[in-house]
Amino acid sequence: MPTSPDFKPTPVLTKRIPEDRSKRSTVSYDQYVATGGYKTLEKAIGMQPAEIVELVKGAVLRGRGGAGFPAGLKWSFLPPADGGPRYLCINCDEAEPGTFKDRLLVDFDPHLVLEGIAIAAYACQMQTAYFFIRGEYHHQAKVFKKAIEEAYANGVFGKQGLLRGASKFAVDVVLHRSAGAYICGEETALLEAVEGKRGWPRVKPPFPAVKGLFGRPTIINNVETLAAVVPILESGVDAWKKLGVESTFPGAMPSYGTKLMGVSGHVNRPNVYELELGIPLRTLVEKHCGGMRNGKKFKAAIAGGVSMGILGTDQYDAPMDFDIGRKFDVLGLGTACPTVFDEDTDMVAVARNISRFFKAESCGQCTPCREGSGWLLKLLTRIERGDGTTQDLDMLLEVAGSMGLTPGTTICGLADGNNWAVRTIVNKFRPEFERRVKPRFVPVYVSAAAGR
Amino acid sequence: MAWPTKPSATMQVPRRAEPYVTDAMKAAWTKDVLPKYATKLGCLMPILHDVQHAYRHVPYQAQLEIAQFLGIAPSDVLDTVSFYDEFTVEQRGVVTIGVCHSIACEQCGCGSTKLIERVREKLGLLPGETTDDGQVTLITMDCLGSCDTAPVALFNETLHENLTPEAFDRLVEQAAHAKAGGHH
Repeated sequence: MPTSPDFKPTPVLTKRIPEDRSKRSTVSYDQYVATGGYKTLEKAIGMQPAEIVELVKGAVLRGRGGAGFPAGLKWSFLPPADGGPRYLCINCDEAEPGTFKDRLLVDFDPHLVLEGIAIAAYACQMQTAYFFIRGEYHHQAKVFKKAIEEAYANGVFGKQGLLRGASKFAVDVVLHRSAGAYICGEETALLEAVEGKRGWPRVKPPFPAVKGLFGRPTIINNVETLAAVVPILESGVDAWKKLGVESTFPGAMPSYGTKLMGVSGHVNRPNVYELELGIPLRTLVEKHCGGMRNGKKFKAAIAGGVSMGILGTDQYDAPMDFDIGRKFDVLGLGTACPTVFDEDTDMVAVARNISRFFKAESCGQCTPCREGSGWLLKLLTRIERGDGTTQDLDMLLEVAGSMGLTPGTTICGLADGNNWAVRTIVNKFRPEFERRVKPRFVPVYVSAAAGR
Repeated sequence: MAWPTKPSATMQVPRRAEPYVTDAMKAAWTKDVLPKYATKLGCLMPILHDVQHAYRHVPYQAQLEIAQFLGIAPSDVLDTVSFYDEFTVEQRGVVTIGVCHSIACEQCGCGSTKLIERVREKLGLLPGETTDDGQVTLITMDCLGSCDTAPVALFNETLHENLTPEAFDRLVEQAAHAKAGGHH
């Protein structure tokens, strides 16, 4: 159960980051240590690595990058250490439209992320961590580079072993800048990009935990996931499990903890908020974001990054937790960064914009995605222009439904994102689309003799 | 992302006498980049970033020089260069204006469509084009990760948020007169 009626607990991830944008500044190493920073790493080093993995597993920390896969479980997939290199990749390729939560942590509390990296690296005995940041995050890359240098200068990382040699286990952190390709946020494409190749997702299995970066066991985690490891170890599993909600489906995984929710679109106070999972979208918008802009009515919201699909007008009360996909006909919670639209929004334009994104970012490896994304964009552009027919609408759904992992036609889930976005928008706002298309008359030929 | 037709084996690579990859660059890469990656190919992306930053493009000659430095096939370098949007074979302008045209930026405030239109009116540029004097390049970009302050645009490496048409006009004006090497 949530600890407060408005789902706003004492901040856990953002305790050093004020909500007021104008009061934010980067927390330096000294400031971080002065406010209890790196104490949790010290605690972690006193534990057995396997103990930490069990602890994170027990906290059911579900991945914050979109898929919601439990981090502890992922860590436990690693084979036993064989003395060879093992890698940690941190996914900060935050490029999905609507998503801007990791930027907050990297910008203002980079050492929290670094502490999480150090703990994860120790827990899974991974010697090198590649911090994979998207190319467009120029400022953030500089901030994080400086934070890494500070951490090295203070002996957190480096040859002498973690935390000035408190542990013999040494960890190195490498900042790796991507170069403008959304697909590199897919974990195996990310590995290809670190290896210097084009970001083409790999066929799984083998899974990265067994054979990942440079052919070695690798764990890939989101920035926020690793940051959340710190409070779990600091305050304990029970404190973490008090936050968030249980699943309402029997036997399903719960949604524990707080989540950074970046709200954008037609609301009065778009921003990143740290709230408990399970908060209804309506509470999020009305209570925390100051309501809809210009007193307009709510029309729709993208659940969490455009690939997740759309929540319709009657789904304003949807709780933001990992059950959302099964209950509200969207792909999932994604990054929990909703983009909210008011009553004046043209949903055809929204669908077209999203399709343009997926067409531009399809890596071109699988035919259904490469060709399908182009077709969806063409059809939607035609409908938006007013030249579409009812047949185009059917074709749109047919093409969309035939691409992605779910029908089993592609290597990665990018096409699913395109599919779900287009399909849910058309299905939930079908009358709006129907008003925009012309009826298509099918000529019926009748024989001349019969006509007479 | 693009899938360009690869230049044929008989293509003449335009060359200049002075190499793009300088000794200073090689020394810096040997010290800072090579030890960080398990393979030579792995070092490619940081190196390409440096070259793109220095020359505002990665010409074919530079690609050959990088391949030689790393001891990898030139086609591997071309493969990577052609995949990532940030690496270009054509030289970008002194200032690259990257207008975000993803969902929040298109829908909020004055909207990205209007910003792109302003550049066309002022400088006669369509997305993907560079002014004749090589001063300004306009590109559209997908989500810059700042949807709460939409619409946004990158001017080289600086993100400008909550743009209004007037503020954007002033930035475009400055870009048209910015000097090479200075950060906008």
